[in-house]
Amino acid sequence: MSAPQVSPVIFEVVRHRLNNINEDAAATLKRVSGSQIAVEANDLNTVIMAPDGRVVACGRYVLVQVASMHLVVADLLDQYADNPGIAPGDQFITNDPYVATLHQPDVALAAPVFVGDELVAWCASVVHQSDVGGPTPGGITYGARSIFDEAIPMAPMKIVEGGRVRRDIEREYLIRSRTPELNALDLAGQIAANREAVSQVVGLCDRYGTGTLRAVLDRLLASGEQQLRARLRSLPDGTWRHVAYVLHHDIEAPPAEQDTVYDVRLTMTKLGDHLELDFSDSSDQAPGAVNSSRASLVNFAMAGLLIYLCNGLPWVPGGIWPVVDIVSRKGSVVDARWPAGIAMSTSSTGQAIRICVNACVARMLEGSPSSSRLLMASCQSAGGGACTISGVDDIGRPFATMTTDDITGGGGARLESDGADSSGFTTSPGAAVANVEVNESYLPIRYVLRRELADSGGPGVHRGGVGTVQLIAPHNIHQPINVLSFGQGLQHPCAIGVAGGEPGGQSGFAIMPLGRGRELLASPPAEGCPVPLPTPGMSMGAGEVQLLISQGGGGFADPLERDPGAVAADVTEGLVSPAAARRDYGVVVGTAEGGGAVHVADVEADVEASGALRRAMRVERLGGREPLPPLVASAEGGARTQGLRFSHAFELVPGEGATGLACRRCGCIICDAAANVYEHAVVRTVPVAGRAPFGLVYPGSEAFVLHHCYCPGCGLQFDVQIGRRDEPVLRAAEPVLGPVASDG
Amino acid sequence: VQLIGVDAGGTFTDSVVATGDGHLAVGKALSTPGALAEGVLASLSDAADRLGVTVEAMLAGTDVLAHGTTVGLNALLTGTGATVGLLTTAGFESTLAIAKANKVHGLSEDELEAPTRWNKPALLVPRRLTRGVRERIDAHGAVLEEIDLDDVRRRVAELAAQGVNSLAVALLWSVANPTHERQVAEVARGMLPDIHLALSSELVPKIGEYERTSTVVVDAYVGPLVSSYLAHLEDRLRTLGFAGLFVLMRMGGGVLPVELARRMPVHTLHSGPVGGVAAASKLGAQLGHANIITTDVGGTSFDVGLVTGGDVLYSSKPMIERQALAIPVVDVTSIGTGGGSIAWIDSVLGALRVGPASAGALPGPACYGRGGARPTVTDAAVILGYVDRLGRQLALDADAAVAAVREQVAAPLGLDVFSAADGILHVACEQMRDLIRRTTIQRGHDPADFVLYAFGGAGPQYAGRYAADLGVAEVVVPALAAEFSAFGAAASELKTAIEQDIAPGDLHASLDRVNSLFTRLETAARQQLTTAEGRLTGRLRQPPAVSRTVGLRFYRQIHRIDIAAPSGPVDGAAADRMLDAFRNRYEQIVGRGTARHDTPVEVVTIGVEAVIPVPLVLPSSRPPGDAVPAGARRAWFAGETCSCPVYPWDSLGAGQEVKGPAFIESDQTTIVVYPGQTTRVDHLGNVRIGFA
Repeated sequence: MSAPQVSPVIFEVVRHRLNNINEDAAATLKRVSGSQIAVEANDLNTVIMAPDGRVVACGRYVLVQVASMHLVVADLLDQYADNPGIAPGDQFITNDPYVATLHQPDVALAAPVFVGDELVAWCASVVHQSDVGGPTPGGITYGARSIFDEAIPMAPMKIVEGGRVRRDIEREYLIRSRTPELNALDLAGQIAANREAVSQVVGLCDRYGTGTLRAVLDRLLASGEQQLRARLRSLPDGTWRHVAYVLHHDIEAPPAEQDTVYDVRLTMTKLGDHLELDFSDSSDQAPGAVNSSRASLVNFAMAGLLIYLCNGLPWVPGGIWPVVDIVSRKGSVVDARWPAGIAMSTSSTGQAIRICVNACVARMLEGSPSSSRLLMASCQSAGGGACTISGVDDIGRPFATMTTDDITGGGGARLESDGADSSGFTTSPGAAVANVEVNESYLPIRYVLRRELADSGGPGVHRGGVGTVQLIAPHNIHQPINVLSFGQGLQHPCAIGVAGGEPGGQSGFAIMPLGRGRELLASPPAEGCPVPLPTPGMSMGAGEVQLLISQGGGGFADPLERDPGAVAADVTEGLVSPAAARRDYGVVVGTAEGGGAVHVADVEADVEASGALRRAMRVERLGGREPLPPLVASAEGGARTQGLRFSHAFELVPGEGATGLACRRCGCIICDAAANVYEHAVVRTVPVAGRAPFGLVYPGSEAFVLHHCYCPGCGLQFDVQIGRRDEPVLRAAEPVLGPVASDG
Repeated sequence: VQLIGVDAGGTFTDSVVATGDGHLAVGKALSTPGALAEGVLASLSDAADRLGVTVEAMLAGTDVLAHGTTVGLNALLTGTGATVGLLTTAGFESTLAIAKANKVHGLSEDELEAPTRWNKPALLVPRRLTRGVRERIDAHGAVLEEIDLDDVRRRVAELAAQGVNSLAVALLWSVANPTHERQVAEVARGMLPDIHLALSSELVPKIGEYERTSTVVVDAYVGPLVSSYLAHLEDRLRTLGFAGLFVLMRMGGGVLPVELARRMPVHTLHSGPVGGVAAASKLGAQLGHANIITTDVGGTSFDVGLVTGGDVLYSSKPMIERQALAIPVVDVTSIGTGGGSIAWIDSVLGALRVGPASAGALPGPACYGRGGARPTVTDAAVILGYVDRLGRQLALDADAAVAAVREQVAAPLGLDVFSAADGILHVACEQMRDLIRRTTIQRGHDPADFVLYAFGGAGPQYAGRYAADLGVAEVVVPALAAEFSAFGAAASELKTAIEQDIAPGDLHASLDRVNSLFTRLETAARQQLTTAEGRLTGRLRQPPAVSRTVGLRFYRQIHRIDIAAPSGPVDGAAADRMLDAFRNRYEQIVGRGTARHDTPVEVVTIGVEAVIPVPLVLPSSRPPGDAVPAGARRAWFAGETCSCPVYPWDSLGAGQEVKGPAFIESDQTTIVVYPGQTTRVDHLGNVRIGFA
């Protein structure tokens, strides 16, 4: 590094200032904007970048919006350096997913920081807008055949020139929207935020010199890279795979072919201190809104790495770049080719990308004794309850909004604790669901109920967080309310578990008569309740109700190993029903079974009966065979310490000639370590249909199955996969043997 | 008129007595967890000793005794509050648990970096003690489903059977129509006459069921403890002959009569930091400072508050221990940088970091000699010679400080121990300065428009350093810096405030509703102070002054601005004037040209405040003088060690200047006057540091 030496004290001072400046920018944005989306829902983020655009400081709001903000800057530097030029006081606006944003409703504003005529940094922000134009209020056109049926994105434009707002560009931007006054508020907020950040960074240079700033930015990027490489080196080498599914409803196809499922396939390979995420085997792009652009792919993948891999490290997204390759195939659903429609990517393919990264990283962390404490199962993904509603209220005012009710799903379970109940997306830490009373103040709707949903958390040694169930009815309307559900996660669970934990409960969405909705919740029909998949153009009239179920989080490790006392406590708290305590955990609680009553008096686990039940369940897992006993009677599982940890369930042990893979619970050697353990495990495949809340059955769910994978010795559940019925079990983890990393 | 303020903090209980003839006396005692009243009485005895009277005589001559307590906060911190039962509208039992899906608000900085540590705030009412009752009211107050009182009786009986000793009630839209909540209260009081009952429509009539529920639950959680503590303390005070008015510091400013505090204990939850800001605004009024940044350096935190235009700033989304509150709370922002913050080397970044880990009070900094071995901010100050003892007695162990800093900071960085210690203070003071910048800039203020007040045990040590470079013109170290919160309690007026949200609507169209609410709330506010009025005598005895506000905002915006309403009925012309005032104020806060004409304005809140002023007589001016140093201490500044004069604070005369480097010391505080700085003592004994 040729930059000047910066003392440890000055370095720390400047580092702290940069984070504060970035926080100031977010606060200024919120203060000046004052919009519900910015201030209440926190659907925004701010960054400070190096001169080439690498992100050095990012806010803890919606990570996916800014993880790859460098793409905006790269585009500006590449395209605009001469014409129209990049000069002090300029700011550029864009919402083009083919350049850098997630989808059109996310509007980015980037400003260069100059000291004299030297470009020293960039500041930028992103805010989600309720409407940016296009044929459908709220910005999502389900039936779009291409981007020309959606809001047409704005390529980067210089909206502030030399400190002055270009009125022509401002009008061009606002005229597209159905809510120009709200967009204008956020625009003013973003311009003010960039001005504040730019002037403070310039002040920092005045005080400490531009050389110091450059050196600090470089060192932050270098140490971010260095820390991630060090973490990677401590993790085992190998290849991990995951597939997640996206549903697309093609309104113009013949009725029988309207619903198509697309695969997002990730093969993640880690060797030494390098990571490759290869998505090239994903399906071809869809003829509509669910596609993801390359920018959206990169944002979701990077945000996934920040959350799941960089846990506890400083978040310097620009430092991740040199360490990670993201491979994709142009024309696929994760890297759509212009002019494919992409406005719904954030709620569909983007979520699938995040889940793939989440699953592969968790499997990699599982193999490390010291880093396994960082692993987390999947939180909810955007489901069927994610939707926009629009119409006209009782006094004739039009309304259109993306609702936040779906942001109440469960968090993923962790190595040492349950997932956070009803806590929303992990990748959007600050995002919030609106109060019922606030929504009822502004929208012609009435909530019939909104409560946590028992049994929706993915079972495991640690349980995934529970999701919620909500019933929402029109209130004082003269005409039906239009409802556009994003329609994901209805046919199968999405939030995967890790290390043998079960996936979280799936989404639900339906419009039905109010009476039927209440009845369904009170006494779900044993034979199941068939409901149609949502279609574009749905509406909800007086006397009807919208049923919305947000997903639970995934669980961690075999639920039969969960402390029976913890299961009983969940039953007492109404988070697990007595029936599910038996079915999912093999725990018999000391109370009469009250049909899943929400409130049960304090209950206790019947230890003896539970022990017998769990034993019987293991016998059943092994097809009637007697299971091997655990090595040590430990509630924790994983008793062996002789071998090298391979995963939570397995370890590598010296065998006859080759290294063997042994179960940490019972000690049996399952196969040669180089073999595909899934071919030697006991696998029981069951349809997903029976697992949906309230017996909901959506068409197409019969195509999906759950593969439960057990140790052939003791029946320990070491993996649960969601798959298509006609496809084999995925080889989800494949170690690179030889000099295996060991960190004791 | 004799006033007493008593503030019970975590370590010490301070009292300040302002006698009618302009004397101020302070008392100090160790706080006594588990028997807090003892610490209060000991502190009062200490003050009486200093006045040369018995505590009985002092109390008998006292008109108002104002108390700031942390008894409620301690219950929250230690999880030792009541067993609360919660009644909600059926179908919405999970409101508190869902917590708007908030999993990161209120987390510390290191927790924020680790997603595996993101969790909801602690649930003060377990789900099994939450019951829904069948009823429903809509946004306009219309009853959609009548309340089923048999159902209510069943639910209350179930909760009673589970052993709840406190009850919180928060039904949907009780803010628009409190009938159902009142019916629930009637049933509950009939069945459980002695239980603490917190009713959301009474305590916090605000739209937004999560924050409203959380507020009543916190109230119910701390209610029984606070109430019995206050009853016990009042009893003790009365036995000693106190016949005046007993009031409690209110988190939203001012003081509350004890009867009201026992009914609504949530208002007294966290009074210490508020006392400091209240004291600053009072002192600022005397000194002609309308814009003040208040700063308080404690052992584990640095607190910043703001006074703008003479008014204390309130938090827009108050939260205490991660629990959301919908009541007004004086805005005090904190970071975990204090005397106990630990310095460490981040070898990957190549940075000298300070905090967020803290040595706390136990074991404390290495120099406390209580087994702490990690180098802290206080250790750095000891090494540099800025401070050599803690309080009146405890001498600090400089060798231990040197050893800790040398081994863990100086040696790894290849620095001498002084430079390392100076580096630690540099980083810590920058963190403090960054918080001050953030607190002002994020609210649209320029620090250059403010005077900075520094108080608390350690604020005066560092203020000369963290206040530099901010643009503030002056730092004031108040004469009662170490007992500033107790002074704030004594200096606060008797105040009650009621804020009621209404369904958002056009102001002109809502005038009938606004006027009838004003009438109702005014009566209620006056009533809240009636008993207190009875206890006041002489010139203190006067009816409350009532002021009224309407909260306005732009359609679908968040920022509410409270605009003063005239007394008497509000007519169309008055409404127009208030709308104009709103647009002007909005542009002042957000920026010129931002109040768009085409955006409709809606009224969302009605506010009424009743105040009885409590006149505090500050001691008459300190005599001028030119004291000489009582000694000297060697200290390290900017690269060299020199001998610096030490002045006893009490000996300094009004108008006297002290040039740095120098130290000004009282029993509890050391002011560090840095080289190049000049301080002046003002006529009230405050030390003022000027920045050119």
